[in-house]
Order: sequence, then C-alpha cells, then structure tokens
Amino acid sequence: MSVREMQAAPLESVTGVARAGAPRRRIDLSVVVKQLVLLLAAMTVLLPAYFMVITPLKTQEAYALSKLGFPTQIYLGNFETALRGGRFFLWFGNSIILSVGAVALSTFFAALGAFATSRMNFRGRNVLLSVISSLMVIPPVVMLIPLFLLLTRLKMTSTYPGAILVYAGMLAPFSVYLLNNFFRTIPHEIIESALMDGASPFDILFRIMLPLSSPAMMTLITVNMLWVWNDLLIALVLLPEDGMRTLMVGITVFGSRYNADVPVSMAGMLMASVPIFLIYLFGQRYFIRGLVAGAIKG
Amino acid sequence: MLRTKPWTPYLYLAPVSLLMLFVFGYPLAAIFDFSMRRIRGASGPFIGLENYRQIFKDDVFQQAILHNAQLLLAVPILVLVGIVLAVLLYERVAGWRVYRTILFAPFIIAIPVIGVVFSNMLSLNGAVNELLRAIGLGFLALDWLGSAQMALWSVMAIIIWHEMGFGVVLFLARLLSLNEEIQEAARIDGAGWWQRLWYVTIPQLKDVTEFYAVVSVITMLAWVFPFVYVMTRGGPGNATQVMELYIFNFAFRNSLPGIASAVAVILFLITLALMIPLFQLRARAEMEGIE
Amino acid sequence: MSEKVLRISRRDFIKLAAASAAAAGVYYWPGSHPFAARAAGEKLRMWWWGEQEAPGLEKWVKDSVAIFEKETGVTIEVTLQDTTTVISEFQTASAAGNAPDIQFLWNGIYHMESVWLGYLEPLNGLISDELLKEADATVLSIYQGKQYRLGWYACSLIWLYNKEMFDKAGLNADQPPTTWEGLLDACDKLKSKGFTPIVGGLKDGPWGEWYMGHALGPNLDTPAEALKLFIGELDWREPRYYEHWTKLEQLWKAGYMNEDMNSIDLYPGMDYFGAGKGAMTAIVVPTLGKQAGMLGAEKVGLMVFPAGGKGKMNNKPIRDLQGLGISSQSQHKEIAAKFLESLHTPERVQAIWTDSKALPTDASWDGNKIEDPLFREAWKNWVANPDSVPYISNLMPVMFWTDAMFVNAQKIVAGEYNGEQAGENAQAVATKWREQNPDLLEKYQIWANDLAL
Repeated sequence: MSVREMQAAPLESVTGVARAGAPRRRIDLSVVVKQLVLLLAAMTVLLPAYFMVITPLKTQEAYALSKLGFPTQIYLGNFETALRGGRFFLWFGNSIILSVGAVALSTFFAALGAFATSRMNFRGRNVLLSVISSLMVIPPVVMLIPLFLLLTRLKMTSTYPGAILVYAGMLAPFSVYLLNNFFRTIPHEIIESALMDGASPFDILFRIMLPLSSPAMMTLITVNMLWVWNDLLIALVLLPEDGMRTLMVGITVFGSRYNADVPVSMAGMLMASVPIFLIYLFGQRYFIRGLVAGAIKG
Repeated sequence: MLRTKPWTPYLYLAPVSLLMLFVFGYPLAAIFDFSMRRIRGASGPFIGLENYRQIFKDDVFQQAILHNAQLLLAVPILVLVGIVLAVLLYERVAGWRVYRTILFAPFIIAIPVIGVVFSNMLSLNGAVNELLRAIGLGFLALDWLGSAQMALWSVMAIIIWHEMGFGVVLFLARLLSLNEEIQEAARIDGAGWWQRLWYVTIPQLKDVTEFYAVVSVITMLAWVFPFVYVMTRGGPGNATQVMELYIFNFAFRNSLPGIASAVAVILFLITLALMIPLFQLRARAEMEGIE
Repeated sequence: MSEKVLRISRRDFIKLAAASAAAAGVYYWPGSHPFAARAAGEKLRMWWWGEQEAPGLEKWVKDSVAIFEKETGVTIEVTLQDTTTVISEFQTASAAGNAPDIQFLWNGIYHMESVWLGYLEPLNGLISDELLKEADATVLSIYQGKQYRLGWYACSLIWLYNKEMFDKAGLNADQPPTTWEGLLDACDKLKSKGFTPIVGGLKDGPWGEWYMGHALGPNLDTPAEALKLFIGELDWREPRYYEHWTKLEQLWKAGYMNEDMNSIDLYPGMDYFGAGKGAMTAIVVPTLGKQAGMLGAEKVGLMVFPAGGKGKMNNKPIRDLQGLGISSQSQHKEIAAKFLESLHTPERVQAIWTDSKALPTDASWDGNKIEDPLFREAWKNWVANPDSVPYISNLMPVMFWTDAMFVNAQKIVAGEYNGEQAGENAQAVATKWREQNPDLLEKYQIWANDLAL
C-alpha cells in the first residue's frame, strides 16, 4: 500500500491486516532496545492478565504461598464457587439488554437527527451542532442527581426502559456528531439521482444514506456498546435493585464480597472478561477503528 | 441540501432532541436549582449560595480538587508513552501487530475488573510486592494502595495502564496517515532516531497530541470515578478523594443532594471551560481536513 | 369517609386479633378470616437487605412471603437492595411519593433520619405492644416514645480470640483480658510468641467505625453522651473522648496489629483470624459461623473488647440488630403490619436460625436449645442479655463514619494522626455536619434527650 493510499484510509491501515509493509528501514536504534521497550510495555500489560488467569487455578492455600507462581496442581473449584456466588448469567443478560437497547435507540434517533443536520437547511442548525458537540464531554456524574430523582418520580429506577433512555441520551450527542460528519461525505450526486426517481427524504435516509454508512455504523455501534457495557456509575445509581445489576456493578460487588478469597474473586473477574476479550480478538479492527474515530472526532 | 417542507427537519430532529433534553437539558438546569436548595429527598428550601460556601470551606472538597489536579500529571506521561510506543510500532519492529493487540487490550477490559485485580496485586503482601522481593527490590515493596503517600500515585499508574493503549493506536493511526517522505529525507540527512522523533515526528503529530491531551485532561478531571470507587473508595483517609466521588457520596450517602449539585455545577463549569480549546482544535482539524 | 371508618375498624380488629393471638402465644390466623378476605388481591412492596451479611435470608424471606400470600391472598413484591443505596433509595422514593410499604432498616440514625423526614410510620398501634416489646428493636429505634422498627436478626458486635494461641502464650484461655493493661499484656505475650495479636482490615473503612463503637463506648455513661458529642454539647477534643484513638495509636505503634491493615478490607482482615494468622479480631454475629468454621469452633473464644473505659458502659457486650419498618406513605399499613407480625410466628423465628444461622432477636425464641456452644454463648451474652449496651456508632450520620471514624483509624495506622489530632478531626466533621444539616439538628437534640432518660 502506498503512502497516498494510507493517507486516504488511515483508519483502515491502522486496524489493518498484514501488509506488505512500509519500506524496510535501516537499524538506527538498536533493534534490541526497541524490542526491550515493547517487551517491557507488553509485560506490564500482561502481568495483571497473567495474574487473573493463573490465580483462579490455585487453592487459597497455594495462593497464600505464592501469588505469582505457577500452580503445582490445577484446581477448578474456584470457578464453581464463583458461579454459585455471582449471578453472572443474569448480569451478562442485563448488560446485553441495556447496551443493545440503548445503542439501538440512540442510533436510530441519531440517524434521523443527523440526516436533518447534514442534509437539510433549517434555522439554528449551527447552534444545534455546537451544542451537541459540547454535550459530548460533560461527565455523566453532573446529570446524575436530577436523573435519579426524575426516574424515581416516574417509578422508573431499576427498570430497563429507564436505564435505556438515560444511556441512549448519553450516547446521543456523539452519535449525532459522528453520523452527521459521515453523512456529509456521501456524494450529493447519489442523492440527486434518487430525488430524480422521486424518492422521499425518508427513502433517501433508509435506502441510501444508511446502507452507505455501514462502516460508520459499525464504528458507532462498537464505541457506544463498549461505553454502555463499561459504565459503572449510572448503573450503580439508576439500577439499585439486585436483580437488575449489570455486569460492571455485579463484578464490583462480587469483588468486594470475595475480597477475602482472591482465587474465587479472580475466577469471577476472568469469567466476566473472557467474552469481551474474545470479541476483541476477533473484532479488533472495529474496536480500534471505532475508538480512534470516536476520539479523533469526539 | 435537500429541499424540504420547513418543518420536516424539525420532525427528524424531534426524537433525538427530546432524548437529549431529558438526559442533558433538564438535569443541567436542575443542578443549578438544586445547588441553591437544601434538598431533602426531592426538594427543599432555597438557601442561596450556602451549599457553595459549605463546599469551599470543606477541606475534603479542597483535597478532592487537588487530587484531580495531581492526576493531571498523568497527561504528559500518557502522551509521551503513547508517542514512543506508537513510533516503535510504526517502525514495524518484529511482532508489532502482536504488540499492538496486547497494548490496546487494557482499554477494552472493564474498569471494575482492572480495579479488583490491581487492588489484590498491590496489597502489602500481594503479587507485585512478592515479585519485587523476589528480584531483590524488596525495599520497593510499599503499601501501594494502603499508604496515604502512595495511594493516589498508584491509582494514577493504573489509570495510565488502562488509557495508554488508546493513545498508542491514536498516534499510530496518525503516523500511518503521514507523509513518509519527510521522515525519509531526515534519515538521509543523517538525523538519528531521537532527533527524528523530536524534530520530525512530534511536530507532525501536533494536532493529535493536542487533541489527546485535552481528552486526557477531561478524563483525569471528570471520568475517574470507577477506578477510585472500586479500588479505594477515596481512602485511605481521603487520600484518593476526587470530585466525582465527592458528588456521589454527598448525593447518595450523606443524603445532601444540594451540596452534591453545587459540586456538579462546578464540575460542569470546569468541563465547559475545557471545551473551548477542544472546540478550537476541532475547528482547526476540520479546516485542515483531518478526520 | 367510609374509607376512614373502614380503616379504623380494621385497625381495631387487628389490635384485637393481635392481642388475642399474643395471649395465645401464637400469631396465627386461618386463611378464611375476614381480614384475609378483605386484604386479598392487594399488592405490597418490600425492600430489604441482609443476604449480604447473612446468606440464607433470601430463602427465608421468600418462604415467609409465600406463606403470607397463601394465607391472605395478598401479593408481596420483594426486592433485595444493594448495600450502597439502602438508605438513599428509600429516602428518595419517599420524597417522590413512591416508597415501598415495608422497608428494611439499619439501626439508629440510619432510620431515624427517615423518621424525622416523616417517611416512617410509628409501629405503635399498628402492631401490638406485646410484639413490639417481644421483637424489640433496641432503644435506638425509639423516638419520642414511638417505635419504628420490628427486630429481625442480631448483628451484635463481638471480639474473638484464639484459645490455642492464648494457651501457647501462657495466657488463661478461659479468661480473656478485661482491662486495658490486661490487653496490652496479652498482646505483648502473644507477640513475643510470634503471633499477630490483633488482626483487621481497614482499607474499606468500617473497621474504624467498629473500633470506635467498641472503644469509645466504654468511656461513656449513656448513649446520649455520644449524641451530645455529636450535636456539640460535648467536645471531641476532651481527652476522655479521643483517648480511644490514642489507644489505637498505641496498639499500632507497638506492632500489635497486622502490618497490612490499611491495604486489606474488613472481611479479609477478619479472615486472618479464621486462617489462624492472628489472635484477636472484631466481628459481627452473623459472621461468627464462618470464622468458627475456618479455625475450628473449639479454638474460638468470645470476648468484650477490653477498652479500659471509665464510663458506665465499660465492659458490656454490644447488642445490635436489624429490623423492618413501615412506610408512612403505604396505602396498606395494616396489611404491612400483619405481614410483619407473620414473620414472628415461632416457626418463622426458628427458621431465621435454621435458614441462615443468623440469631433471631425475639425474646420468646429460646437460644438455650442451640447445640453449638459458641452460638449459644453469643446468643446468651450478646442477644438475650439485658445487661448489654447499644452500639454507639449507630448514633452518628454517615458523614461522621466516613470522614471521622474511617478516616481517623486509617490515618492513625498510616502514621498521619495521633489520638489528639483524631479528636480534632472528629470535632471538625461534627461541626461541618451541623452546619450542613441545620434542619436535622433540632431532632438530634430531642433524640439525645430521649436517650438520656
């Protein structure tokens, strides 16, 4: 891939699959030093992961003797205890419902809105866009107290609709912003010709814009899903009921409940992380591209 | 632009606008009101600026702000580490794709998981100190999260651990979009690795660096709640107290949402102030056509 | 109007029913009773907590609800709450007019604030005086002569000691220390044998609150004295009121406590005792089974923390218990009261013990039949003992816990505070709370007067 192509598709190349590679370089800083730096960084990252994988395989006694050593005997009882002590399936289920619900809602609403901001003329358009982009950086904790009171008054705490509305709202500014920017890049000619064929704005959005936006959509969905999935604060406050816990709240509580039994606690942490980690390994390009795009733009 | 009936755009905007009014509009107006009341449950008497007076004379709040400020020291570290690692990956060091996968992974792992894992590893008799003692660095085996002097630095290190990968891929993305000819020219002119990094690469990354720095500043000021909540709950002895936790505690533990709202107003104003440079950056980025 | 008449008659009826039931010694009514016929079809909500500290209670709650539903046709929707939001959720729901009918209540200030805000209904009149007394909810549940909780299970605070270690250190394993000097002497001997005398975990904080309850109380004459400290009539900077923190500093500096105290949480710290890594630790009754199970019940001794206080509360077991109350907004207070009563049939009370190994607090429940001698002793001295004292930490609001009790202990162990500075901080936090909560201060004063009687 030439330099020019990379410039054209920077995000594609960073997430890229194997590439014939940039021109070979001379070794000007010893390769060994570079490898050492990266190795050190990688080990810093991997040490906690190693700890999380190795600890659940030990009994508490073995853990007390050696925190980092390899277990002499593999013990699987911790997973059993963890599964009995934590309602992992329930927590996963809640997190999935909330993130899918919130992302679906916000994406749909944002697509409608972004269609207007990117392709229609109306008064207050620029003001609206600047307000929306400034909303992106306001931390959720600022809005939390009124939201909690409001949802309590509406009897919507510890309900899926209540939390989904809040999450969708939190995601909305970024979603509108990203889609607005993407929709603008769609060549006007395509829309022109559709208009000639008598398409309504609605048709244009759903038949043309959205199908053409699937890369942006994937990006948006990945980033937003991860956001909802990883949120602790909102879930902690707006879903106080035991049966409504998300995975994040669940493992926080699980972690402090089993803080005296590190192997069981780590078994729980491992089980909570494996699915996401697998998704990451297989869908790495979406994660990275999504987050980089999200960041560069928002 | 499409030609539409005058009200059509508003129709398309209505759902998302209502959603944002619900989640941002009403709450942002409400915190200003709440912050001037002694809220009991859902409302309370108007007490003027008393809540603000209370928080400014509360030394716990002062500590919280100072701690957020101290966390800002992580920003230059994040930028530096991000750039250096990204440059190394960019140079296609053997195994760079594996490294990239590994280095980015912490950003994907849930913060509560990170918190629980690190609190166990960093306890006085935990894995980290065991490792230090084993390699003859026993004098470094400190009470990482348990001592007031170390706790905030440890939390900061863990935040860096989590956020680092993001910077790496961000800078890498930018590097890959750069014109390699300049680098090549510098090399031909005999510039060394550090010289090229300092005089060529870093200037070329200026826009992304600024952006990343601003985002990290906001993170350190207003998005560190889960780390602190899971690992230290602000302790030992308020040593890791931060603004978000202070809001959370006053709202949901001390039953004084009025005071919590006053802090929320302050936090809101701070982020608002920080948005100005972000806007400028974005405007410039858009003008230069970088997206 | 008719509604009112109906209510009065219902209330009278319940009084009558409760009184006759009490006379019979059995709280039971057949499903065909007029009450049931009238209540059938109603739906009540109950929010509770407790599974977290006494696993097995969830089963007990479910069973109890099922029995009640079957007998009355009433539906009770049960929600297990999260520890962090037990109080705020109820208060906010109350403020929004959406409170559950039945609410779990921690003792002391944790429900008194809700009483003052008008969110809780006095149980007097709804529940027979006999049962109110029988399932007593401690003096800390009473405000202006009205009782707001019905006792459920005990959460008394006990210290454990390891008899084997005491033996090995040449101490009398049947007579744990009862004075401060005795404690220091025991610690010294234990330490010289290579044992860690006292183990605990302070990272999450509550150990600091337990410690204050165990060590400040003995310097006081009445619980009211603690309240007076809090409302500013007494001064935390007086040596008598910060001496316990100086003592903590003394224990810490002498190396009598586990060195990683500040880097582990409450429960892991406690588990050091069970794992045989320490000679003494503080627990609450529901966790006794776990420690005894880990260490071997025969090695475990129970003791009152020998704080060496100069007050009338010195060397007394601390008795505390969890309870349930009724929201003032409930549309079905009588049914809720009926439900609370139904939790106190002999069968249900016994089931608390069998389902969860938590100790019931009903006076009629005879703990002498407990086979396990350790639990029998715990019940006898810490639950059924008339010569016990309330847990004074329950008198202070959450802010005082986190900013004074937690922080003081953590800072003493971190070497940042001495006892006197801890006292100064306590004074500052109490002052801060008073300034931030002027509306509650007056109620606090009334409560202090109540408790002084």
